[in-house]
Amino acid sequence: MIAALDGAPRPALGMIDLLLRDREAMLARIRKGSDVAAIMRTMIATIAVCMAIVGAALGSYRGGAQIGYAAIKLPIVLLGTAALSAPALSAIGAALGRPSRLSADLALVMAALAFGALLLAACTPLIMVGRALELDYHRMILATVAMFSIAGLAALRMVWRAVALEAAPGWRTAVAGLCVVFALVGGQLSWALRPYLVRPRTPEAPFLRDVEGSLFDAVTGAFRSARGIYWRDEAPLRER
Amino acid sequence: MSVATREPFPIPRGLAIALAAAGPVAAGAILAVRARDASPMLAAPVIVFGVVAATGPALYIASAAVGHAPPLAAVVRAFGVALGAFGVALAGLILPAAFIAVSSVSAGTTIAASSGAIAIAGYLGLRRLATELRPPGGVSDGVAALASSAVFLVWAGATVAIAGRLWWDLAVEVVS
Repeated sequence: MIAALDGAPRPALGMIDLLLRDREAMLARIRKGSDVAAIMRTMIATIAVCMAIVGAALGSYRGGAQIGYAAIKLPIVLLGTAALSAPALSAIGAALGRPSRLSADLALVMAALAFGALLLAACTPLIMVGRALELDYHRMILATVAMFSIAGLAALRMVWRAVALEAAPGWRTAVAGLCVVFALVGGQLSWALRPYLVRPRTPEAPFLRDVEGSLFDAVTGAFRSARGIYWRDEAPLRER
Repeated sequence: MSVATREPFPIPRGLAIALAAAGPVAAGAILAVRARDASPMLAAPVIVFGVVAATGPALYIASAAVGHAPPLAAVVRAFGVALGAFGVALAGLILPAAFIAVSSVSAGTTIAASSGAIAIAGYLGLRRLATELRPPGGVSDGVAALASSAVFLVWAGATVAIAGRLWWDLAVEVVS
């Protein structure tokens, strides 16, 4: 247990410790609903700090201003996505007869994301190793995706377990709906606030890129380009 | 029909029905912002309530004809709960849909986001209607249960097709 100098545990650090060591107890506290506001405050702060650390580590791949840019943007992406998506868990569950409580569901989603953010923060040394070994850009991207996938699955598992314990009607659909909404909103918000990981040789890293189509447009565009179909007038010519 | 006495939602049922009206207005507003035309905000709730009002009696008549219809009052109550479920679900989905639509410059994304929110809420409303119409202990007669399920599926398919076509025509017309 993390404790203050006088031996008494600091409530916020104690809560983070509980989240890491005994998630069942944390879920029980959220279900009980007695100190949801305190849980929310701690989890939001945890997400903000951890994602700022992860963002700074990713930004360090290029260095300079990008360290600060990514450290600001990554917490916004995760907290913004959580704020927009978490109500879907309550709403879809309530539509199917689950006795949902918006505050408890928000606290649950925030706690799960805080757990994922803590895992990502724990992966920061790996990002720094990649930087130290001068891992090429595409390998670095793949390593980052793998880390975020592991953290995301761990967070999802926590939400799944918590909602499954209720055994309420429609809980599976509610969690599935949350996943779909979270993926779509998270994808779009992270797309809108990109870049995070920038090639070291990039002369000037922008804070934000110009508003373009959605992530979905970019993915379908990439598929078209891969098949040699270009819709833009300035599409690149084949090299001879 | 379910005889459960507890409230069907964690919020008052009247509020849930109000959300069923406000949700499509908000979904229409997503299209309206893109098209700079307010007509979808009126047309969307008209489509939802109009199609349900037009096709709802057919479900009762067909269910009664195959010998397995709950009392009329129970069917009306089930439709109220299902519309409420639609509204509650849409209340949770409209904000993400609005964000995705507003943060993209693509008209196709706007149509996909607003249509997706309405479609998911519609699916959840239909699922809740099926639950509410089911007798508490299930149907003991297998043939009757099969006929009842077939009637519901055909009715749901027809309702979704009509509403979907009207919504699609509206969305494509105002956005393109």
